[in-house]
Amino acid sequence: MDRHFDEELQNVKKKIVDMAALVEESITKSLDALKNKDLKKADEIRDLDHRIDKFEIMIEDMCIELIARHQPVGRDLRFLIGTIKMNNDLERMGDHSVNIVDCIEYVIKSPPIEQVTNIWSMAKIVKEMLRDSVQSFIDNDAANAQKVCERDSVVDAMRNETIRILLTHMLEEPKKIESAIQYLLVAKNLERIADLSTNICEDVVYIAQARVIKHHAENEKA
Amino acid sequence: MAKISIKKLCLYYNGHQALRSINLDVTDKEIMAVIGPANSGKSSLLRALNRMYEIDYARISGEILLDGMDIFDIPINDLRRRIGIVFATPVVLPGSIRKNLSYGPKLHRRIGKAEVDELVYNALKSANLWDEVKDRLDDSASRLSGGQQQRLCIARTLAMHPEVILMDEPCSGLDPVSTAKIEATMLELKKDYTFVLVTNNTKQAARVSDRTAFFLLGELIEVGKTQKIFTRPVDTRTDDYIRGRFG
Repeated sequence: MDRHFDEELQNVKKKIVDMAALVEESITKSLDALKNKDLKKADEIRDLDHRIDKFEIMIEDMCIELIARHQPVGRDLRFLIGTIKMNNDLERMGDHSVNIVDCIEYVIKSPPIEQVTNIWSMAKIVKEMLRDSVQSFIDNDAANAQKVCERDSVVDAMRNETIRILLTHMLEEPKKIESAIQYLLVAKNLERIADLSTNICEDVVYIAQARVIKHHAENEKA
Repeated sequence: MAKISIKKLCLYYNGHQALRSINLDVTDKEIMAVIGPANSGKSSLLRALNRMYEIDYARISGEILLDGMDIFDIPINDLRRRIGIVFATPVVLPGSIRKNLSYGPKLHRRIGKAEVDELVYNALKSANLWDEVKDRLDDSASRLSGGQQQRLCIARTLAMHPEVILMDEPCSGLDPVSTAKIEATMLELKKDYTFVLVTNNTKQAARVSDRTAFFLLGELIEVGKTQKIFTRPVDTRTDDYIRGRFG
């Protein structure tokens, strides 16, 4: 048994779970700040993003070192490659969170828009997707990961619905265009976060079962 | 058609069954790696392929076909010329580098000096050893380094114009540079020869082989393209072994 290598792999796993917790915190806080139009939170979100970036560099270094030193194969190789990709996806989520908080300034300046409840419903599902994707990674649970992937189409449909609502606002009251565009950007960022959670789940399936499910690869093979 | 076709091969010695109904095809001009822990039967398989197991008073059942012909229907000298073997420890013959290479061919037929020179050059060149020894062909072979001695053993096998080369842990006692030279030699020779490489070094199997067979306790557990075996093995025992998590 290569116990030392196992411990190092577990350490990588722990770091990425810590990083995911920061990303979740950042997304929750940015959405709360948007809801409360609280610009003071912006710096806190940027600070979180800075910490997430540092995690990304550290985890990437750890994975590269383990690949160089142990030349992993089989499940270990899949774990490290999957983790490198997940690391990148989480870092991008942190950026999307900052993008959301950047919208607050413009939302405050513009006349308010009612009926953006769709955004908050969408945000709830996106946060659940992130949490469940990380949980499936922790549990090495491919079945749960695939269930998370299925929710991506729900988020896509909600984004389209949000765009439709916001376009109606823009047509009815042009002075609300600035605000509506900002919420549109928020919807877009949330949809991207859902896509990145889906990516993580696809990597979980690859790590756990050596199956490539992205881009419908399995259907094409059949 | 497979270069070597093994069908339901069992091998027994001293009341112990070393191979259990092995079915395995080795394709022409490929490097087939055979991996597995101690007592998995990988060396027994190698020794069966050119009937070296007979030296151990072992008994086999099943079939081994070379180009479709049963190896028991091939005269033993002919079989061992066609299927050469390189052992873990390089065994050089007493005498010069030149004599090491000409000894085998001279046993089979009468050859002149010019042909010996050509044979020595070709064998050493193919084994990536010519440039290192061309000025001392009449020096004792035992003065070569371990890595050079092993490449001389490969050259000696090549001098017999084999079709298949069996390698039993060919780099086990060698440093990384010598190992890299032997692996480069194998990859270059692959266009003309078929290799069966038994190795405990799974990373070596991953580096050089086209296909890999995993043996455990005399059974063939899994065989497939090396790229697949080392990234997506089907059997968890294979995965455990290649990751070093066995036992």
